[in-house]
Amino acid sequence: MITLGHLSHSEAMRYMGGAGIEPDERMSAMLSECEALVLRHASPKFLYRIAELPDDELAAGNDIKAHLSGCDKAAVLCATLGADVDKLIRVTQVSDMARAVMLNSFANVAVEQVCDKAEQEIAAQYPDRYMTFRYSPGYGDYPLSLQKTLLTFLDAPRKIGLSANENHLLIPSKSVTAVAGLSLYPIEQKRQGCAVCQLRGDCSYRRNGGHCGF
Amino acid sequence: MDFNTLMQTKPFIMLDGAMGTMIQKSKAEYRHCPETLNLTRPELIQSFHKAYIDAGADIIYANTFGANAYKLENSGYTVEEIIRAGVANAKQAAKGTEALVALDIGPVGMLAEPAGSMRFDDAYNYFKQQILAGKDADVIVFETMTDLYELKAAVLAAKENSDLPVLATMTFEKNGRTFTGVSPASAAVTLTGLGVDALGVNCSLGPDELEPMIAAMTRYTDLPLIVKANAGLPDPNSNEYTILPDRFAACVEQLLPYGVKIIGGCCGTTPAYIEAIRDMLRDKEFTPCPKNTDTTVCSAASAVEINGPRIIGERINPTGKKRFKQALIDHDIDYILTQALSQTGAGAEILDVNVGHPEIDEKAMMVTAVKAIQSVCDAPLQIDSTKPEVLEQGLRYYNGKPIVNSVNGEEKSLASVLPLVRKYGASVVGLTLDENGIPKTADGRFAIAKRIVERAEALGIDRRDVYIDCLTLTASAEQDACRQTLEALHRVKTELGCKTCLGVSNISFGLPNRELVNSTFLTMAMEEGLDLPIMNPNAVSMTGAVRAFRVLSGIDRHAVKFIEAYNDAAPPKVEQTQGDMDVATAVFNGLKNEGAAATERLLKTTDPMTIVNEMLIPALDRVGEGFEKNTIFLPQLIQSANTAQECFEVIKAHLAKNGDQSVSKGKIILATVKGDIHDIGKNIVKVLLDNYGYTVVDLGKDVDPQLIVDTAVQQNIKMIGLSALMTTTLHSMEETIRLVRSTPALQNPDGSSKCVVFVGGAVLTEEYAMQIGADYYCKDAKESVDTARRVLG
Repeated sequence: MITLGHLSHSEAMRYMGGAGIEPDERMSAMLSECEALVLRHASPKFLYRIAELPDDELAAGNDIKAHLSGCDKAAVLCATLGADVDKLIRVTQVSDMARAVMLNSFANVAVEQVCDKAEQEIAAQYPDRYMTFRYSPGYGDYPLSLQKTLLTFLDAPRKIGLSANENHLLIPSKSVTAVAGLSLYPIEQKRQGCAVCQLRGDCSYRRNGGHCGF
Repeated sequence: MDFNTLMQTKPFIMLDGAMGTMIQKSKAEYRHCPETLNLTRPELIQSFHKAYIDAGADIIYANTFGANAYKLENSGYTVEEIIRAGVANAKQAAKGTEALVALDIGPVGMLAEPAGSMRFDDAYNYFKQQILAGKDADVIVFETMTDLYELKAAVLAAKENSDLPVLATMTFEKNGRTFTGVSPASAAVTLTGLGVDALGVNCSLGPDELEPMIAAMTRYTDLPLIVKANAGLPDPNSNEYTILPDRFAACVEQLLPYGVKIIGGCCGTTPAYIEAIRDMLRDKEFTPCPKNTDTTVCSAASAVEINGPRIIGERINPTGKKRFKQALIDHDIDYILTQALSQTGAGAEILDVNVGHPEIDEKAMMVTAVKAIQSVCDAPLQIDSTKPEVLEQGLRYYNGKPIVNSVNGEEKSLASVLPLVRKYGASVVGLTLDENGIPKTADGRFAIAKRIVERAEALGIDRRDVYIDCLTLTASAEQDACRQTLEALHRVKTELGCKTCLGVSNISFGLPNRELVNSTFLTMAMEEGLDLPIMNPNAVSMTGAVRAFRVLSGIDRHAVKFIEAYNDAAPPKVEQTQGDMDVATAVFNGLKNEGAAATERLLKTTDPMTIVNEMLIPALDRVGEGFEKNTIFLPQLIQSANTAQECFEVIKAHLAKNGDQSVSKGKIILATVKGDIHDIGKNIVKVLLDNYGYTVVDLGKDVDPQLIVDTAVQQNIKMIGLSALMTTTLHSMEETIRLVRSTPALQNPDGSSKCVVFVGGAVLTEEYAMQIGADYYCKDAKESVDTARRVLG
């Protein structure tokens, strides 16, 4: 049973393209309400499983191979907030779009938190190993079509109700799959950042002088 | 031996244990999926079946759980090969014994709409292929299902393509729901209606944790129950399951009093578990569960037992409502959804859905409306149409057990509607009228009610599922008719033992203070036994009368619901409206009530178009500028837009009352392209365009290119906005634009395109947009509005 902690308001603001804007009193109250709603509707779950490397099916593409270089194992993980958060956002869109946008952002914050918890647990299981940051289908040249492979490897549809559709989108939508490399030796962290991102040419965060946090 | 004989002759029926666990223990190697072992290691699979038969299994599940076209993709085998081999292996193992073979079918592996994007018909076709391939089995089993909609598609596929008996089990979490939120009650009600032979639970939990689900199911079905539990949970380190055979059998024993008749094991169980169950059952008698005399209708998440007055909301119906008719013509589904949520918010527990209008395709609209309402609202629905073909569409695509509105005593109606009710397992409203109209007397109406009930029962529809409507006539025209209605209602309730419903509001036509007349009549009718008033739940006194009646007649025990509705609820939050706030200030600050009030005031002195062009739009522009300069963030922009929307609604209502032209500045189609299910961005664009006075025809998400083109042609629409969030769906955007450009009806005589296409979405760039043939790329919702103004003015 995973319990979510406080969801950062400034993170949520960033997802809404409002980084740096100081919310007024009315907006602050709405942010708090939306945080509480997401916490109430989320049923956070994660799964992970260790794969032995090399694994060509798992490491499909140059970027993921580079990411896992030097690692003898990889932790495949997935996380979800469950179907109810999707429904909450869907229902709210009917009556209050502004609130729906806010809920959507808090849900993004929440699912990242679930991933962090999964990572912490993996790290605790492998105290002798160094871990890379998590790498997801859709980053670099790591194809989205790998979603099905990762989910099947984890038995995620049956165990936590997480599946992908024909276009490789995760359902429930507030979910993540990722691969993190495990190595016996310190890893040169190729830090996440704009340099490795395919969207850097036309990114709304960068346009406003910001950064997505990746 | 066949399944029905087995059911009649044996007190309990034994299923097998896990196949996956046996395969794992054997360390047999396979690629892609364990079902391929049917062909690569048939003798191994047969040996597992034999072990289970030896342990006492009456029915063995063929190794076909995941053998569908989606999961077998890239396996190198066809569904037919794997399933035929699977069934043949099981048959071979059962040879010389009385064991039956089940075609075992699990979930497709993709989630169905609305939570996911697999269409109902696609799910149906996956299952149909499996069912046809497994026709040599003795029984069809659907198991480990978490989505009732997918399971309904499966059961229909079985019923329409096979005569084999059907067993269905769902998988619940500790919180008593499946992953998609299905309750055990809804599962039991829906599956019973669809005519399965037995239903129950399997997988996920151990038998020690299943009592709440089994107890809930047994209350809502007369069918025998199935339990196929896991051997507890796997230990995370050893991967061994925690419940051993004897304890497993002892836990199952605790469940027998709930009407459990069919028993086996799921993950972690082996022949030893089946033997333990056999030994435990040796001297036991089957206890059928007590029959529930009430009837229940449901959605996937919520079951409503008709055990006292329940409000059916009547507002989703265009009759006499200009605004609603316009919404239907404009395909304004959001308007219907708003109506749905406002009624459930006011206290409706069931919603009537009528979308009949001569200018639209009622069949298609019924499906769209049912799916859309069910995606945001848990109240069960009442499918309302005069056309049987519309009823059938609504019934087929409904998730749960609905009510059909309606059948009447006419032969044509009885013959066309009742078979649909039976097939789809619904309840039905029976109107007490026939070829000769509405009988004047209670006796006449009672006679028709009796005829309807008899016809229903002859088809196998339980009379619990026939809700008789004795018809309300207008008191101002026929004052004495009121007594006849109530008397007929009383007789139906007491002599036929049927549930009753009644459209209440007709009673007061032509009288002043209609709500007073309505609520008085409602109270009188409830006293005579009215179960289902069809009414406007927003009429506070009427909803209050129902709630109070439920307290005073002892249905709402300890007045829990009543107190919930009236005591705790703070008085509706009326935001302090400052009497003289102007429209611009209200819009800028996103204050809906103030905006509406200011618009009302202005309309007394100012021309509506002046308000729109000189006040609302400039105020929105100011907010838009702030958004562009990054001093205002998205939710504020939307709140301002919503306030403007509120002002527009006031203006629209004003114009409609005066029969004036609409204020629309032009129509725009919006759609998220085929394959893409992210629609929040498109919905933001919609809110903004709406509020700048454009009429948006919102086709939703995952939209077929042909539908976009057809809509543009039919409604003569010159502007189309497309949204795509994922790189994987950009190609559908391209395909849609290509279809728009190549459709002759959307071309000018000189071959140029009549339609302007603008596109947007997270992964799009200006360059790519131009490359795929769009006219405009809009980086955000605000830019969409700028584009619309440039194109349409």
